[in-house]
Amino acid sequence: MEYKKLDKTAYKLHLIKTDKFKTINVRICFRDEIKKEDITIRNMLTNFMTSSTDKYKTKRDLVLKTQDLYAASIYTRCYRSGRYNMTNFYLSILSEEYTEKGMLEESLKLLSDIIFHPNFNDKDRYLEIYKFISNAYQKKIENIKENTTGYSMIRMLEEMDKNEAYSYRDIGYLDDLKKITLEDMKNYHKKLINNSLIDIFIIGNINDDTEKLIEKYFNFKTFKSPKVNQIITHNKVNNKEKVIKEKNKSSQSKLSIGCKVYDLSEYERNYVLTIYNLIVGGSSESKFFQVIREKNSLCYHISSSLNKLDNLMLIKAGISRKNYDKTIKLIKELMDDIKKGNFTLEDINKAKANYISMLNEIEDNEEAIVETYMAKDLLNLGNIDERKKEIEKVSKEDIINVAKKVKIDTIFLLEGVNGRG
Amino acid sequence: MDVDKIELKGLGQTLYFEKLDNGLEVYLIPYTNKKNYTMHYVTKYGSTATTFVPYGEKEMITVPDGIAHFLEHKMFEQEDGVDPFTFASKTGTYSNASTNYECTRYYFEGNKAFNENLDYLLNFVGSPYFTDSNVEKEKGIIAEEIKQYDDEIEWFFDEEMKKAMLHKDNHRIDIAGSVESINKITKEELYKTYYTFYQPSNMFLVITGNFNVDEAINIIRNNKILKRAKTNFKFKVKKEKEIEKIKEKEVETNFNISNTKVGYGIKIPIGKKDRFTLNAYVALMLNTKFGLSSLFREEIKKKELMTNFYVERELIDDYLLLYFKADSTKPKELVDAIKTELKDVNITEEEINRMKKVWISSNVMMTDDITLTADNIVDDIITYGKVMYNKIDLYRSLNKKDYDKTIKNIDFTNSSIVTIYPEHKNKSSN
Repeated sequence: MEYKKLDKTAYKLHLIKTDKFKTINVRICFRDEIKKEDITIRNMLTNFMTSSTDKYKTKRDLVLKTQDLYAASIYTRCYRSGRYNMTNFYLSILSEEYTEKGMLEESLKLLSDIIFHPNFNDKDRYLEIYKFISNAYQKKIENIKENTTGYSMIRMLEEMDKNEAYSYRDIGYLDDLKKITLEDMKNYHKKLINNSLIDIFIIGNINDDTEKLIEKYFNFKTFKSPKVNQIITHNKVNNKEKVIKEKNKSSQSKLSIGCKVYDLSEYERNYVLTIYNLIVGGSSESKFFQVIREKNSLCYHISSSLNKLDNLMLIKAGISRKNYDKTIKLIKELMDDIKKGNFTLEDINKAKANYISMLNEIEDNEEAIVETYMAKDLLNLGNIDERKKEIEKVSKEDIINVAKKVKIDTIFLLEGVNGRG
Repeated sequence: MDVDKIELKGLGQTLYFEKLDNGLEVYLIPYTNKKNYTMHYVTKYGSTATTFVPYGEKEMITVPDGIAHFLEHKMFEQEDGVDPFTFASKTGTYSNASTNYECTRYYFEGNKAFNENLDYLLNFVGSPYFTDSNVEKEKGIIAEEIKQYDDEIEWFFDEEMKKAMLHKDNHRIDIAGSVESINKITKEELYKTYYTFYQPSNMFLVITGNFNVDEAINIIRNNKILKRAKTNFKFKVKKEKEIEKIKEKEVETNFNISNTKVGYGIKIPIGKKDRFTLNAYVALMLNTKFGLSSLFREEIKKKELMTNFYVERELIDDYLLLYFKADSTKPKELVDAIKTELKDVNITEEEINRMKKVWISSNVMMTDDITLTADNIVDDIITYGKVMYNKIDLYRSLNKKDYDKTIKNIDFTNSSIVTIYPEHKNKSSN
């Protein structure tokens, strides 16, 4: 595998050459400082961009074109990452040795059409398509409570600090949706193209011409520089945690706990915290899983995960409401145990083996490789081999120190009452 | 080593096959450019087999619903106290298991200690260890799992549609059973079930990714537990004959949701038709008439009949079930539109060729992923009773004449409508 990062002034181009895969994957990432009021229009815009372009007026036209390109797939995703709004366009196609010559260029051209030429000109068509997308999007926002686990987590983050970026809903807001006009869409499209920090990744069996093709079809012009630090840090420590309960008509209660992580060094955030999380709740070997599920039969699902760019550890569990107190007590005890050093060398070795195995998994998957290069820049992480070396250095003492910097901040219970079961 | 070698034509892959004396079938697809491997040990026993003659007995017994899934959980209990999750995690290997209507599978995914892990997988699935207390302990965990799925609208939707279409078939019953049924499960029933359905002659092993075929075969042939296993035991499962007509024409119900959902289900008896051919031609019809590139979809968008619409297929024992599902404020109009569209299922040669190209390309793409490749083998065996070695050729041979012949005789009106309203809304108010 050969990796090259080129500065094209208006964007960074990442070329990853490998012959391990039958497909070529392209990712175009637009990054900008997040504003709450931008989330909804960003979702609407990217939705619209993949539904109607000047040349391919309808979703059907676009799908027929991707079918002609041997089942190419194009999709987008908007999400928050620390203090930034991320909008990614993804393209995945078969390499030309499995199809025919010219297919990569044709596919890039299609992606370029989608990014640079949304159909704002044919007004009747625009309104018709906008209306459908908007209705569908409205329903999606209204259906947010259908995923009780996700909803509980969203509510917890809102309760944690409603002014911080992590409390913003990725899915967007109904009030903002209602206000969007055609002019807004046009302006926001210009803003996306001209004001974002842009990274283009391309991975697969590429050649010397690939760079020229990208330059030809992705002629971004303006130079931008990062404005704010992407990583969110917490200042004051809440000594007493906030507890919120909300009733919901369901069989199971969904517990979400937000832990703030304070004052970590880069090494601690990139490596020690990862091992800490795997030991406390991030795997089926973790303390939470072994004690709360296996020993006490209190739940089927319990896990913890990290939002490193938010300096947060999130815990979620599906429990019966009558077991709430017992579960909370155990979670706290288990977290305290790590602080006191009540864990073994075997726990650490299993966590390290787990992490190294995940790194090995990355190498078999194109999307995961791209993700790794993105994280490398965002978190200043080493490459895969460097990470393997660094993780081995994590000691028991390091873990105890990090454990002391992880503090439960907000507990949210979506309380299941009157369910069917 | 003499193992059957089969070329998967059009995919650039080689499959190695071996059948052990005890009946276990082994399917191996080695890769030269991958770092990881995945191994799936599968028994052709799922949630639907609840009445059967246990191994060594003569009379039929009926066990509680959800026992196959309960058994899957309990296989992770070992007499030496080391559980398989822990064993696997020492080398960073991911382990898990799953149960569906037709099969139960145990799998390891990793990139280290292939030989040890393979031997261990065969050993742990070969060594049941149930006690009264470890069975009791699991009931709390599984009850929470059941409640979790009870709250999920997609599961509820799927089950309501099955219940509307099926009279007696056990696909009507939730895979995990109910809190009530699992509370009745005893260790004796678990052992009886285990010894009936976990015989190697009812099982198969699929391995894909980074490994050496000779080494793998060696471990499998010399595994102590497999060597001791009984040979060619045939079990008897009672199956209710399912009635061809759907059970309920129309069902209206409520759930804790914000927007109305509607489902249109069609029940197609397979009869003497070839399962693969029928499934492929019906899929061709559905993709062309109702897929993302269909005119129908543009039409129902324009008429605002739905905000989210998708179509699924499911092959069960003697039936092919079709599911049209949507979020819709006009459920009746949408169902009428689907019915009208189904009256003319003619498609052109060009449309058939387009889908063939898409399917063949997608199949080639999937070979890059070792997990999807293993899943495809498992699905083939469960759905068609064999690996479809020549799938690409079969897709290439699809044609208009056979399409017409296959599709023309299908009765698409043997159907159920399921509408799920939000709880605060009156069923009839819409």
